[in-house]
Formats: sequence, structure tokens, C-alpha cells
Amino acid sequence: MIRRYAALIRNAWLVDLQYRASIVLWLLWGVTEPAIALGIWWAIAGDGSVAGYARADFARYFFAVMLINQLTIAWDSWYLDRWIRDGELNFRLARPLHPAHEAVAENLAYKARTASVILVVWLVVAVAWPAVRLPFAPGRWAITAVAVVLAAAMRFFISFTTGLLAFWTTRATAIMELHAGVSLFLAGRIAPLALLPPAVAGIAGVLWFRSMLAFPVDLLTGTVQGTDAILRGLGGQIVWLGVWILAYRVAWSRGIRKYGAVGG
Amino acid sequence: MSSIVTAERLSKTFQVKVRDPGLRGALRALFRPHYRDVLAVRDVTFGIDPGEIVAFLGPNGAGKTTTLKMLAGLLYPTGGRVEVAGFIPWTGGPAFKRRIALVLGNRQQLVWDLPPEETFLLNRAIYDVGDGDYRERLAELVALLELGDVLQKPVRQLSLGERMKCELVASLLHRPPLLFLDEPTLGLDVTAQDAIRRFLIEYRDRHGATVLLTSHYMQDVTALASRVLMINRGRLLYDGALEALVARIARTKRIELVLGGGDGNRVTAEALAAFGEVKSFHFPNAVLEVRREDAPTMSARLLAALPVADLSIEDPPIEEVIRLAFARGGEEDE
Repeated sequence: MIRRYAALIRNAWLVDLQYRASIVLWLLWGVTEPAIALGIWWAIAGDGSVAGYARADFARYFFAVMLINQLTIAWDSWYLDRWIRDGELNFRLARPLHPAHEAVAENLAYKARTASVILVVWLVVAVAWPAVRLPFAPGRWAITAVAVVLAAAMRFFISFTTGLLAFWTTRATAIMELHAGVSLFLAGRIAPLALLPPAVAGIAGVLWFRSMLAFPVDLLTGTVQGTDAILRGLGGQIVWLGVWILAYRVAWSRGIRKYGAVGG
Repeated sequence: MSSIVTAERLSKTFQVKVRDPGLRGALRALFRPHYRDVLAVRDVTFGIDPGEIVAFLGPNGAGKTTTLKMLAGLLYPTGGRVEVAGFIPWTGGPAFKRRIALVLGNRQQLVWDLPPEETFLLNRAIYDVGDGDYRERLAELVALLELGDVLQKPVRQLSLGERMKCELVASLLHRPPLLFLDEPTLGLDVTAQDAIRRFLIEYRDRHGATVLLTSHYMQDVTALASRVLMINRGRLLYDGALEALVARIARTKRIELVLGGGDGNRVTAEALAAFGEVKSFHFPNAVLEVRREDAPTMSARLLAALPVADLSIEDPPIEEVIRLAFARGGEEDE
């Protein structure tokens, strides 16, 4: 299986190299949204703070969002939608390798290249700008790595499962867009969850949105403190990951039976 | 010999959403969708022996590709039983998929932006082909398909024919005993079609592979297939050798004549009409159609009565036979 993943990731990178300009565009896209959010909160915070967040806290928060969002984001619903509607799923089903493996390999390839660039950018900026530096805490970083893996796995299954809706509807990507819109607020992409009205933040915590992004970000910046809070956060991630894996399994086994194998 | 493919009363029904045209129809379909069952394949039964090349024949939407996809495990049959290479395709998993190749004329697996060799390397990994085997098989396929200088060019720069050849290479590196080809010559020029046909026969002869293909091109069928499965509206109309089909469907034979004689005693169309239906007449060439059983006696009479330089007895063109067969199959269906 390692050899297969190596071959899939190699091909993904080779294709990337054909489209160097689009890599730059995607990177800019990944950086712009948190940068704009940071700019707004920077102005609002002024010399004081908002709900306990001073300028330096916002800076660290959004640099962490930038990195962790790129490490956990998944585009699979778009791929799946195309595979199913255009019949590109056909040859993938005829191979002795589940199509999900190709999707996972694509994710690894994408994440490795974008996240590594963002990490370098962060390090360079941190040299000049102390506000975005994180305290040295290897233990916390290790736990964050676990939370990032859980979040990435969950976002993969969310995206893949939503893409599988293309077996039934032509609006699968629209549903994914809607989810992305909601997660803009509930996952903490434009503001730390602490700044949301308590009821809204509560919904984000009960559903899977906090587990997607805000929780690993808060872990990395040190906002989540105490073994209890960390374990509850990881527990929530594991539960929601389980739910989405289950949803994926149901959608796959039903959808594949319904599949019309477009063409001919 | 035991069959490598067995289908018993194989059926596939699709549910298709139907809606009236216009905005009102769209709205109604949104709230109260209506479904109609489309019987794509109905009670199809056949068996295929190892090493056979069998062609599915039928118009668009006849059910031939649906049948092929059920055999390849892509589609879930709604009825009947199917066994392929000792597996139920739908549940065969990776072990089954290593035994087959699926080549789709209109959907390609080659990575568009990379040279074909990258797809080959990917498939080497996916199918666990050893390095030695990979090199040997690639060399063989490249030689048979005369692909030498295209392996390093990006796929998007290849011609359609080169792409289909590379598609075949990618699909055969794991040396499957069973090939499913859906319209393998679709859109190719005559030379490329011919190269693909010669390759398939050579490949079968070398490795004893079984080949099932669908095609619109009669040439594919006459050049390749020892046997045809004729499908129309989801039903199997005919299963057997092409020649036998022609004999059964075509109740006529064509007598092709090259007439002799000078300008003085030219044979006229009226004179020819006494022997059979004149299909074409451009002196000195003439084509007569006669009842199948009358062909030998009519030929003898023609030779005796007219100045004939050359005479041959032919079956009607295969396209016409097929058209007749479908027309008749359709009538039985109504």
C-alpha cells in the first residue's frame, strides 16, 4: 500500500508542476481570507482587547488558522461530483484500489505542499514580528498534531461523503458550498469562537464545526488549557469522526448500488 | 471447456426521473417526483469460453454497455446471476479486478497532463506488477502497438489513436485474462482502427485472453469476433457466429456479374430482371438479388444464357443484415 500511495502522490505532484501558477493562486487564496480577518480584528482591537483577545492574540490565532486550515481542508466533494457525473468513476471502480485511497493520496500531496509553504512563511514572519511567535511547547505541539490529523480525517470524510451525494443529486457541490459558508463562522475561520454569541458558539461545539478547525487552532495557540478541556476536545473530534465515517459508509454502499455508470 | 463468463437471466432496471417540460414541470418534479423504470437489460443469458473474442452488437441504448459494466462489476444487477473468472463481479473485490481490464473508448484513465508512462508507473504500483514483469510487458505492448516515441509526450499532445493505444497498454500491464472493451475504436481513423484490431487478435493469440467488446463499427465485428451477441432494447436477440446470423436473417444472396459481349449484343436490364431483382446495373457490372436457395441454379442459368465474364455469389452487406435483424427483433418486441 505504501508503494501505491507513493505512486499516487508522485503523480499528484507531477501534475502540480504542470500548473505552477495555479499553486500560487491557491496559496494566495489560503492566505488572503485569514489575513483579511486579521486586519479587521486588528483594527477593532486597537490598543485594548476584544473578549480577551489583544492584537498579538489575533495575530497568533489567524496564523494558526492559516496553517491548520490548509492542513485539514479537503476538496474531495468537487472531485467526487465530477467522477460520478462524468463517468470518471468507471475506471477507478475497475481497479483493485478503492477510489478513496486516491482521494486520500491527493489530500496528502496537497497538504504537504501548501502547508509546508505556509509554515515557512510563518517562520519568516515570526523572525521579524514577535507577535506571531508561539511559546516553545513540544508537548502541546504533539497533541495539536493529533488533533490536526483527526480534523483532517473528519473534513475528508465530510467532503467525500457530500461528494457522494452526486449519486442522487446534481447539487452535491452546492451543498458543500453551503457547508463551507456555515463553517466560515462556526469553525472559527473569520473569528475565534469565543467572540461569537454564546448560543452560536454552543452550536459550533455540539456539532462538528469546532472539531474541524477551531479546536486544533486553540490547542496550538494555547487557548485551550487543562487536561479536561483537551480530552473533551479530542473526544468530540473522535465522536464526530466516527459519525462521518459511518455516514460515508452508508452513502458509499447505497450510492454505488444506485450508480448508473454514465456513458453508453 | 468451462465458461469464463456466465450470465443467467441477467437484468438491470434503472429508475429515471421523468418530468414535464417547462417551469411548471420542473416545479412539479421538485415536489412530487415521478419515476419510470427503464429496463436496460432483460433476462440475458449466455456463456463465454476462454480465448473467445465476442462482440456485443446493438444500436445506442440497446443495453450492451450496461451488460459489459455489470460483467466488470461496475453496475449492480437488479436480477439474475453472473459469474466472471470464478467471481461474482459485484463482490469480487481486488482479486477479481486483477483478473480483468476495462477499457472505455470515451472515458480515459491516462493522466491528461503527464506523459502516458506516468500512468503506466501508477498502474504498476496499483496492480503490484514486479519490476521485471513491468519492463518485459511494457516492451512487448509498445512493440505490438508501435508506440516507441510517444511515451514521453504529455497525453494532451497525443492523437486520439495514440491515446487509445496507450490506454490499452495501461490496462494490460497486469496481464488480465479477461478484457472488456467498450467502443475501443470510437472516433479513430481507419489506420488506427486497424492497428487496434490487429493488436487485439495478436494479444489474444499470444496470451489466450478472452475479449468482450462493444462496437458500432461493423468492421470491428467482422475482423475480430468469432461470435456476436446481438442486443436490442435490453434483450438478447442472437448469440452465435456472424456467418450463421447472416444465413438466418438474410433470405437472399447477391450474384455479382461482370458481363462480356460487345456493343452489338449488350445485355439489358430487362434481360437481367428475368433472373432476379436488379440491385445495380452499370455495364459491364451488375448485381442481382435472388432467393438464397435459388442462388446456385440461377448462377448456372445466367452462365448459360448471357455472356458472363465473371460471376460471384455474396451475402448481402453485413450492415443490411444487422439492420434487418434489429427491425425483426423490434417487431417481435412490440
